[in-house]
Amino acid sequence: MIELFAAIEQTPFSIFMREDFYAYFIALIFHSIGMALLIGGGILLSLRFMGLAAAAKLERFAGFFPVMWVGAGLAIVSGLALLAAYPAKALTNPVFGLKFACLIAASIILWRIERRYFTADAQPLPQSARILAAIALALWLGGVVFGKLLLHTSTMLMVS
Amino acid sequence: MDPIFSPDAIEAWAKSVGIFQLMNTQWGWPIAEIIHFLGLCLLIATVGMFDLRMMGVAPGVSMNALHKLVPFGVAGYAMCAITGFMFIVTAPGQYLYNPAIQTKLTLMAIAGVNVAVFYLTTARAVASLGPDDSAPTHARLIGFISLACWLGVITAGRLVTFFRPPEFWCLWCVAG
Repeated sequence: MIELFAAIEQTPFSIFMREDFYAYFIALIFHSIGMALLIGGGILLSLRFMGLAAAAKLERFAGFFPVMWVGAGLAIVSGLALLAAYPAKALTNPVFGLKFACLIAASIILWRIERRYFTADAQPLPQSARILAAIALALWLGGVVFGKLLLHTSTMLMVS
Repeated sequence: MDPIFSPDAIEAWAKSVGIFQLMNTQWGWPIAEIIHFLGLCLLIATVGMFDLRMMGVAPGVSMNALHKLVPFGVAGYAMCAITGFMFIVTAPGQYLYNPAIQTKLTLMAIAGVNVAVFYLTTARAVASLGPDDSAPTHARLIGFISLACWLGVITAGRLVTFFRPPEFWCLWCVAG
């Protein structure tokens, strides 16, 4: 695996991401904006599913999904570019796995609630759905915490 | 030289009250960064999404109901303001003369004026709208300015480390 990381780090794109004056910062900015839109929307939906702002029609929150999709797209593309720069640093860090576990689990929970309850007659949401939404909220926030912690917990840096 | 701020005096103050020591413990700075990011997420999740709703996204979602989540955004703002203050007083030389921070604070000031204009002129009209109504044009504009400012704040925040010393930007400094 380390050999694969080393090979990736020698590709022209990986070198460009590290050595270009602007590339890494531009990717970081898009990653932050993308995550803000994705997780911002995720937190909003979680709060609504938990029963807050209950006067707003649940199924109409689907209108925020395109915002989250744009955010996810930005975060994934920029995230791959950031990953290409330092694959060994990121992928040898267990915190990276925790970040992904949080974000994927939060997405799955919201998707399941949406599939089941985005009909006009399913309200108010049952207690079980509210608890799941609270877990999703914690997972979105956990994704941010672990994402930020990545910077401070890496142990392997093969290139600089 | 700077006639307004003294980085040394600010840092000395941060040491005298213990913020400097707290931020320089092993996890002090990272934990403050995490709180700062969580605060931004809460702000975008509530204020940012309310802005989008005023701009016309997610029709059918009651703006009045959505506005009830704004206190989460205020809490997020407070988390960011407190931790941001701790960053700046702990390493004032890194921040005061940094064009990214200067831009960030300017955008925050614009967002502050914008939110004051919103509550003084349009909030009541927006609160009386039905879920399927569109916000009036000036409310859309206020929403756009707010969202643009907060996304700009995130962008400028990311650029802070791009302008580390010896970069030195100080429009208010006097020669000599």
